[in-house]
Amino acid sequence: MVKDILVVKDLQVWFPVRQGFIESLVSKEQRYVKAVDGVSFNIKEKEIFCLVGESGCGKTTTGKGILRLVEPTGGSVKYYGKGKEILLKDMISDALAKGKITKAQAEKMTAEGGIDVRALHKSKMKKLRQKMQIIFQDPYESLNPKQSVYDIVAEPLVVNGIGATEAEREKRVVKALEDAGLRPPKDFMWRYPHEVSGGQRQRVGIAGSLVLEPEFLVADEPVSMLDVSIRSEILKLMLDLRDNKGLAFLFITHDLGVAYVFSDRIGIMYLGKIVELGPTEEVVKHPAHPYTKALISVVPTPDPEMRRNQIILKGERPDPSNMPPGCRFHPRCPFVMDICRKEAPATVFVSEGHWVSCHLEKGQAK
Amino acid sequence: MALLEIQGLRTYFKTQEGTLQAVDGIDFNLDKGQALGLAGESGCGKTTAALSIMKLLPANGYIAGGKINFMGQDMARVTGDKLRAIRWRDISIIFQGAMNALNPVKRVGEQIIEPIILHEKVDEEVALKRVKELFEMVGINPSRIREYPHEFSGGMRQRVMIAMALACKPRLVIADEPTTALDVMIQAQIIALLKSLQKDLDLAMIVISHDLSVLAETCDVLAIMYAGKIVERAPAGEVFYDPHHPYTRGLIAAFPNIHGEKKMPASIAGNPPNLINPTKGCRFYDRCFMKQDICKTKEPPLVEIKPGHWAACNFVPPMKG
Repeated sequence: MVKDILVVKDLQVWFPVRQGFIESLVSKEQRYVKAVDGVSFNIKEKEIFCLVGESGCGKTTTGKGILRLVEPTGGSVKYYGKGKEILLKDMISDALAKGKITKAQAEKMTAEGGIDVRALHKSKMKKLRQKMQIIFQDPYESLNPKQSVYDIVAEPLVVNGIGATEAEREKRVVKALEDAGLRPPKDFMWRYPHEVSGGQRQRVGIAGSLVLEPEFLVADEPVSMLDVSIRSEILKLMLDLRDNKGLAFLFITHDLGVAYVFSDRIGIMYLGKIVELGPTEEVVKHPAHPYTKALISVVPTPDPEMRRNQIILKGERPDPSNMPPGCRFHPRCPFVMDICRKEAPATVFVSEGHWVSCHLEKGQAK
Repeated sequence: MALLEIQGLRTYFKTQEGTLQAVDGIDFNLDKGQALGLAGESGCGKTTAALSIMKLLPANGYIAGGKINFMGQDMARVTGDKLRAIRWRDISIIFQGAMNALNPVKRVGEQIIEPIILHEKVDEEVALKRVKELFEMVGINPSRIREYPHEFSGGMRQRVMIAMALACKPRLVIADEPTTALDVMIQAQIIALLKSLQKDLDLAMIVISHDLSVLAETCDVLAIMYAGKIVERAPAGEVFYDPHHPYTRGLIAAFPNIHGEKKMPASIAGNPPNLINPTKGCRFYDRCFMKQDICKTKEPPLVEIKPGHWAACNFVPPMKG
């Protein structure tokens, strides 16, 4: 059986809304923007898991919450990758020495083997982040224009104090550039970001993540800023990394077309919750949630024959600080029923490993 | 007579390294009520071509040759007040990146009223009425007229930009990447809006995008540009069902097809050539899968291969007769 590398359970990232003076007199209750509101999924080793949704649905915040680039306010994130082992041993012996846990508890922790990412101290988190990296969306904004490609890629090594000598660091930078498809690395090392093309910039960003030899990558819309003609090259690069280096990915995108050709499993997110999750082909070919159906129908295609039956949803997503009652999707849902306005739908399985939260679906409860 | 006729347009930029031939001899016609799509990768000259029509080129850019005939006048020669009268009233533009194109410290209503008062010489009351109509037309609640750009979402700001472009009832609207920064769902809304406006107002439109699918949905005719040249020009359906130029074929293959089999789309390896001193032969040579030695020296002309369908490739035979 394939092991999980990451298990996310009921992850919650709420941002408090700052109240105005008048408002603070009237209402006592603190309001929150519920960016991520109870998201659960797992990612297996060597798996590409995709989160799809409109902007503001909380997909990026989920990715950042997992890496604790924003602090989650609830739920748990457990990491099972190989990189955890050293860290885990460290922590258990630490806790044992301080008498915080008994020997029996320590043994149990080792056997279970997951690292509770949310409980880690900041210094330890820094260590774990070497194994859990992120690729950012915009290669035009995320690279420092005053640094050479070499400096950009070497910076994570310097920050983490890896590599005793410059020569050692250079070796790793060269390898990372090669792995990211910038060959020969010597040609690119001393260039500045403005001297390479858009696709190559994104490769530089990827090299910057690879240089720490991670096991798990969060890729936040890595191709949305690129021309269609070079997108698939970057996607292929990531597939290569998965196949040859065994990397697992959390891939975040609003483009279901890209998610379809690229991922193993998909989670469809709407307003801070996953509304449907399952194997990619299953979700795309047999979507159960009305939102998924709408998203699939509007994926742009150059084929004029395929442009029938678009379901264009009216309006935009509601304000996440003022969630609608019942099912969150009901104000935009074309199939809305009475019950949708009152009760949040249960989560049911529609086929193996494929579940959905919608009142229209009846099936075995999750 | 066509509304817009472009013949052999060449737009160059002076740079430190030499003259950059951003647009190098393109032709197309546009009739009233027709929509043309300009497609291609970043840097292929599609935006430059459109900016040349409105004469909005940056200081180091200039029209080096060719004709831009708009309603009987040669735009390449029009200057000063005459040019100002044409801009916005006859030709308007929806700029790329609606997020940044609006003035953040001015109410959206004021921003649209301005060109109306300037061009139509009407008083504020009439202009305000017109703005309300425009908002209605693009699907924004007219009560939002006094709001600031930051109070609008991305899709709504794009609608404001569209309303602004339509303010003076232009004959030709240029839309530069109108949906690029938007989500798929909002993109579908904006595409539907553009399509209906174009039909209702009988607008001529030039839509610029790197995304063939957006163009296929909004335009009648597509022109595929590569390295400053049009390499294929045909009705939108033809481009998809019967592409001839290897570059067009590559672009279409690069699309992930959600309705088909789950497989990785192809990509076009390599980068476009440097347009300072480009090679004599076919500019697509380096990246072409059909290349032969002849392509290194012989630049293929754009020829009609069947009625209304033009392509520029050494291996695509022209129409007989």
